[in-house]
Amino acid sequence: MLKLEHISKVYPAGRNEYAGGIRDADFNLEPGTFFTMLGPSGCGKTTTLRCIAGLEEPNKGRILLDGRPIFDSEAGLSIPMHRRNIGMVFQSYAIWPHMTVFENVAFPLKVSKAQRYTAAETDKAVNEALEVVGLGGYGARSATQLSGGQQQRIALARAIVHRPKLLLLDEPLSNLDATLREGMRVELKRLQSELGITAVYVTHDQTEALAMSDVIAVIEKGRVQQFGSPEDIYFRPANEFVAGFIGHTNILRGKALGGAPDAVTVELGAGVTIRCHADCEQKPGETVAVSIRPENITLAGLREAAANENSNSLSGQVGSVSFLGNVLHYEIRVGDQTMQVESNPDRRFEPGADVAISFAPRHGRVLPVV
Amino acid sequence: MAMTEQISMNRAGAEAPSLPRRSRNPTFWLTAVLGVVLAVLVLPSVAILIARSVMITNPDASFGGLTIAHFTRFFTTTGVLTSTYNSIVFAVFSTVVALLFGGAQAWLVERTNMRFKPLAYMTTIISLGTPYILYVGAWLFLLGKAGPINDVFRMVTGSRGVLIDVYSMFGMVLIEGFLWSPLVFLLLSSTFRVANADLEEAARMSGANVFQTIWNVSIKMAMPAILALALFVFIRAVEAFEVPAMVGMPGGIDVLTTDVYKSIKETIPPDLGYASAYSVVLLVIVGILLYFYGKLAKNAGKYSSITGKSFRPRPFNLGPYRWVAEALVIFNFVLLLLLPLLALLWLALQPFMRAIRPSAFSAMSFHNFATVFSSEYYRDLAVNTILIGAIAATAAVVITFFVGWLSARRKPGGVVLDQLATAPLIFPGIVMGVAFLMVFLSVPVPIYGTLWALAIAYTVRYLPYGLRYSYAGVLQIHHELEEAAGVAGAGPLTMLRRIMAPLLSPALVSAWLFIFLIATKELAVAALLAGPNSQVVAVGMYDLWVNGQGGELAAFGLVWAAVMTCLAFVFYAFARNKA
Repeated sequence: MLKLEHISKVYPAGRNEYAGGIRDADFNLEPGTFFTMLGPSGCGKTTTLRCIAGLEEPNKGRILLDGRPIFDSEAGLSIPMHRRNIGMVFQSYAIWPHMTVFENVAFPLKVSKAQRYTAAETDKAVNEALEVVGLGGYGARSATQLSGGQQQRIALARAIVHRPKLLLLDEPLSNLDATLREGMRVELKRLQSELGITAVYVTHDQTEALAMSDVIAVIEKGRVQQFGSPEDIYFRPANEFVAGFIGHTNILRGKALGGAPDAVTVELGAGVTIRCHADCEQKPGETVAVSIRPENITLAGLREAAANENSNSLSGQVGSVSFLGNVLHYEIRVGDQTMQVESNPDRRFEPGADVAISFAPRHGRVLPVV
Repeated sequence: MAMTEQISMNRAGAEAPSLPRRSRNPTFWLTAVLGVVLAVLVLPSVAILIARSVMITNPDASFGGLTIAHFTRFFTTTGVLTSTYNSIVFAVFSTVVALLFGGAQAWLVERTNMRFKPLAYMTTIISLGTPYILYVGAWLFLLGKAGPINDVFRMVTGSRGVLIDVYSMFGMVLIEGFLWSPLVFLLLSSTFRVANADLEEAARMSGANVFQTIWNVSIKMAMPAILALALFVFIRAVEAFEVPAMVGMPGGIDVLTTDVYKSIKETIPPDLGYASAYSVVLLVIVGILLYFYGKLAKNAGKYSSITGKSFRPRPFNLGPYRWVAEALVIFNFVLLLLLPLLALLWLALQPFMRAIRPSAFSAMSFHNFATVFSSEYYRDLAVNTILIGAIAATAAVVITFFVGWLSARRKPGGVVLDQLATAPLIFPGIVMGVAFLMVFLSVPVPIYGTLWALAIAYTVRYLPYGLRYSYAGVLQIHHELEEAAGVAGAGPLTMLRRIMAPLLSPALVSAWLFIFLIATKELAVAALLAGPNSQVVAVGMYDLWVNGQGGELAAFGLVWAAVMTCLAFVFYAFARNKA
């Protein structure tokens, strides 16, 4: 459906420094996919989206939409954005203040060159689109009188009214307040699957990405770090950056000593070793990162810790503890590293207490250092 | 070049030649067309000035060989030195007067709890609509030998002399300063309006008294804006023509601009070469000044502190000193508005210019008004002026709408267009008159002396003003609003028509009104370009003044100013709403 081949858009900067832009983005989306580009601000995800929309021209590469090239640097081809037939929702919604709701949504039909719409067809399409986003009957209102959430829906209606095959969404929920955002998240996903439209979604919010996407690309400093399903990204991060960016995690540095892929021995400090799971090859002696999610760690008093061969056990000392309601959050010093641990508030260890930390080898993931 | 090559090369081996390519981009054609239009409008005037200044002009106005005689004459004439000196003194002191009057008022009105604030705005708005000649005429009468001020002086002291000799450098400075103070008020009041009151209160909380606060915080924060404005007024005063012509020339005080005017109008045949050399020197001076102005203006907003968050201007409490501020504003109102209007009314109701005496009251009549309303001459003046103003304002706004967008959105070529449209700023009005006079005389089309000649010259003169409005307007429009139109399927031209133009309309209307208002007052350009059949209000008024027909001038001027003031109110309401 949408295929990017080696798309690069680099902004001039000093030598090797990264100054925004994207390098060598390369992926292929099946029709009907909800695809999310996730990354910190300034990582190049919006640039990629704008390249697809035609708002920016990549320096290199090829973009195919429905098998047809819409951009090709080698052939000198760049179809202007208004002929790409793509729907887009902007971060600021970009609702034109001088038009009514109806006029805003009808605009793509009015300016369409590919197809002439009669007044009746326009009416029908616009009202359908407004109905779909839950704003039926709002057509005559002035667009500026509506709330942020409603403007968001108008923007969405405008993006789908001419039935594009591809829908681009540039951080559409970032300007909404928290409760509204959750509601819209569910609704956006429902809409997308009902319409069967392919969606490319840009966000820096991992929760949004995990909740809505079929496929996620995690991007950092202009490079795609991992491309995969939400489960892949969360449970099987490709590297230290992805593990750290998605959800909370503890990253421990250590030296790989070898072993079977599901039981790699890693030496953390002098003499302290743990057994971990690895999806990638390591050379013995190589420095690696081990990611352990706080929720997979069990905390116990030092003496109570039952020796278990299938579990790793480390001893540490409570640095601080804070009550978060459903859990207690600890910072625990283990050797010269600090770990975040969350545990049931039924039992509380005070700062200074010696504790045992244990986790299963499959929860400690060996990752390449970035 | 490289891009065209690349495209044609690609085209040879392209597999899908039916697809649209970059070279068909409408934005490219828009840029190209605008580039040609602007080049044709702006460049010939500069070129011909330079050509005339370094070439011999034959008696039939054709070009002879190269010469540097015009420049050597310029640099060796002693009169030039005097004129330069006069220009500088005139500009410096009128800037000081304008800043003192306008600046103090701006701060008092915007930042304190004084009353009578509407008076200050009224003075400003009415002055926007009133031709300078009218003001100058009124003050010349007020301060003149037979005027009420010297009259009172004689009555009080019993002497036969005068308190003020208005046809002097002092008179010129005073009147020019008065003329500019409303503009200073307008521009500085917007600076003071956006100043954050928290900063002043923080100074008070740190233990500073009122005057320490005003000096160390209020004034110093506005300093970048004040400096930039001072240089701006200085430049305009160097270029000024009305006051030097009406006050300076009769008093035998020549400045640079009147020298240029005389070398065309009072020399037979017109000394085009010398006037051109003179103009080129003026261009260079103004160009250098504008360069520094640009640097200052960049810093002007350095300390402006609008945050958008809970911004609430809190007026300064002047306490027992409030009456001082109020007295100043009322004094200003009387001096800048009431007295000139009364003087004009007096002149309009008298059969000839005479001092205010009880005996003269019986001679009052509406005769002058009757003449003005029944005369075809005045009707033509008004119609011509409105026509030219409207054409120039429309043309300048349309051109700069596109240029402003191309430039603000950093489209290829936008910078060049921006510079072309800004270039006329370096032309003092009189120099632009000289330049266009020569351009129109050398084109084969008989355009000189027609309304079109004036309309074209005015359009060029006001391009920079239109551009500032549209450029700033485009910057305030979120780029996603236009990108959304593009993604929705609208080409660049459709987007400009359906999205950009409506969104920009407040700025465009403001620009149109502003240009119309100043174009209808313009004297310097028109003085050299208006022919017998293309007389405009400013030139007509100047002639009336020179011929001593003060009564009709005043009557006509009052009517005209009343109409223009209505427009100025509309303009002000618009500008205020937008801010």
